[in-house]
Amino acid sequence: MNKDDNTKRRDEILEILIIDDNEQITKMLTTFLELKEHRCTVVNDGKEGLAIVKKNRHDVVLLDLAMPEFDGYSVIKDLEENNMLKNHKIIVFTASTITQEELDDLLKRGVASYILKPIDIDVLLAKILDTANL
Amino acid sequence: MLPIKHTLFLISGVSSFIIFYMGVVNLLTSVEQSTGMILLIFSIFVSTGTLLSTIYMSKSITKPIEKLAQSMTEFSKTNKISNKDQIKTNVKEIFELNKNFESMGIKVERTIEMQNEYVQKLKDIDRKKLEFISMVSHELKTPLIPILGYVQMLQKENLLGKLNEKQIDAVNEIYTSTIKLDRLVGDILMTQKLDLEKVDFNEEEINVSELINNVIKEFKPSTDVKKILLTHEYEGDTMIITDKDRINQIFSNLIKNAIDFVPENTGKITVGAKEDLTDIKFFVKDNGSGIAPINQKEIFKKFYQIDTSTSRKRSGSGLGLAICKGIVEGLGGKIWVESEENVQTTFFFKIPKKPIKITIKNNSEKI
Repeated sequence: MNKDDNTKRRDEILEILIIDDNEQITKMLTTFLELKEHRCTVVNDGKEGLAIVKKNRHDVVLLDLAMPEFDGYSVIKDLEENNMLKNHKIIVFTASTITQEELDDLLKRGVASYILKPIDIDVLLAKILDTANL
Repeated sequence: MLPIKHTLFLISGVSSFIIFYMGVVNLLTSVEQSTGMILLIFSIFVSTGTLLSTIYMSKSITKPIEKLAQSMTEFSKTNKISNKDQIKTNVKEIFELNKNFESMGIKVERTIEMQNEYVQKLKDIDRKKLEFISMVSHELKTPLIPILGYVQMLQKENLLGKLNEKQIDAVNEIYTSTIKLDRLVGDILMTQKLDLEKVDFNEEEINVSELINNVIKEFKPSTDVKKILLTHEYEGDTMIITDKDRINQIFSNLIKNAIDFVPENTGKITVGAKEDLTDIKFFVKDNGSGIAPINQKEIFKKFYQIDTSTSRKRSGSGLGLAICKGIVEGLGGKIWVESEENVQTTFFFKIPKKPIKITIKNNSEKI
């Protein structure tokens, strides 16, 4: 965070962390994002994902809200309790129903952005770039 | 009304007095004083006996009846027998009466218990049904994410390689059907929530003309493509308190339907509102083929389609109007259609400008 060149250029290669228990989804996302020449790290488990978020900096974190046991909400809550939520650029997404108020609440707490399903890959990329450039 | 105790005392008092009086009269009018005296003493015994037996009767009959009356009053208020087995009596009729009352009471208690159990069971079934549908919806939507992702990658020339024309057609068809399926799953969940009254409605102050302008702005791109004229018809500056997202959802469903039914190039869709003191009446009017009177009520039913030849063109899930109806009714309003075949169709939905407070809703737990 203390780097001056924190703002990424549009064409820069981004380090993206994907936390989602569904391997088909993570494979699709990495296929797409790597074709767009970004680098992806995939974690299929919330707890492990949280550890990596805390340890290494990524330009953007894609976080699935609905995961078994340790879900996206738990990841957000843990980061929030450690005052680290605003240090990370987290984009949440889910295939479950979520209300606008719940999304607004997440944004207010410090989540950078969200993507509604069905995921449109153009929208996804635009949000990733916007978020990285925040 | 006179309590039974008083009645008994009244009767015994009067009869004792009559017997006593007759004794005195006998004494005074009797030829032989000794006979009169005997009669007087006899009458004193009889009237004392009457009084004593009245006291006894009052204890053994009126006390238990009073108690019974008390527990009946109690029962009618609480549906519970409070003092079971407390009425002691030697009088057969009262014993029977009390026994029957108690067994009736137990039956009523049990029936009410059973009824409560059924209500609870029905609520559980509703909750489980919604949980299941929510789960199914999640499970169905999850695989659609990678399907859509790859299809969109295929649609782009520069990602997975260039496709020939037939392949592009095929991929586009897959894309359309996948989007349709995704929407259908969402709509099924929404109709279930509306049916079970598990939809939470927000309340916020919104400007009607802003609302309509935003609707026009949202749909302008899709009507422009088909050269359909999309206009608005509302002059005013009214503020209403309602759920903006849900109102937008209704407009979105109605306008999408209208786009499917108006002719390209000459199609016209008008969005507007009229108001009176308490309500606002929104409308979406189109110059499409119209809806026959026989179908005008039916179209709000789930999966209702007027005829199969037009349904293939439709992009909707068949649940759009049912959802509109559910939302409007949830907002305390009503929705209807007026149409002249081959001339025009207007969908109206009227809602209160301010929500009417209903406090019956106690089962609005979110899932």
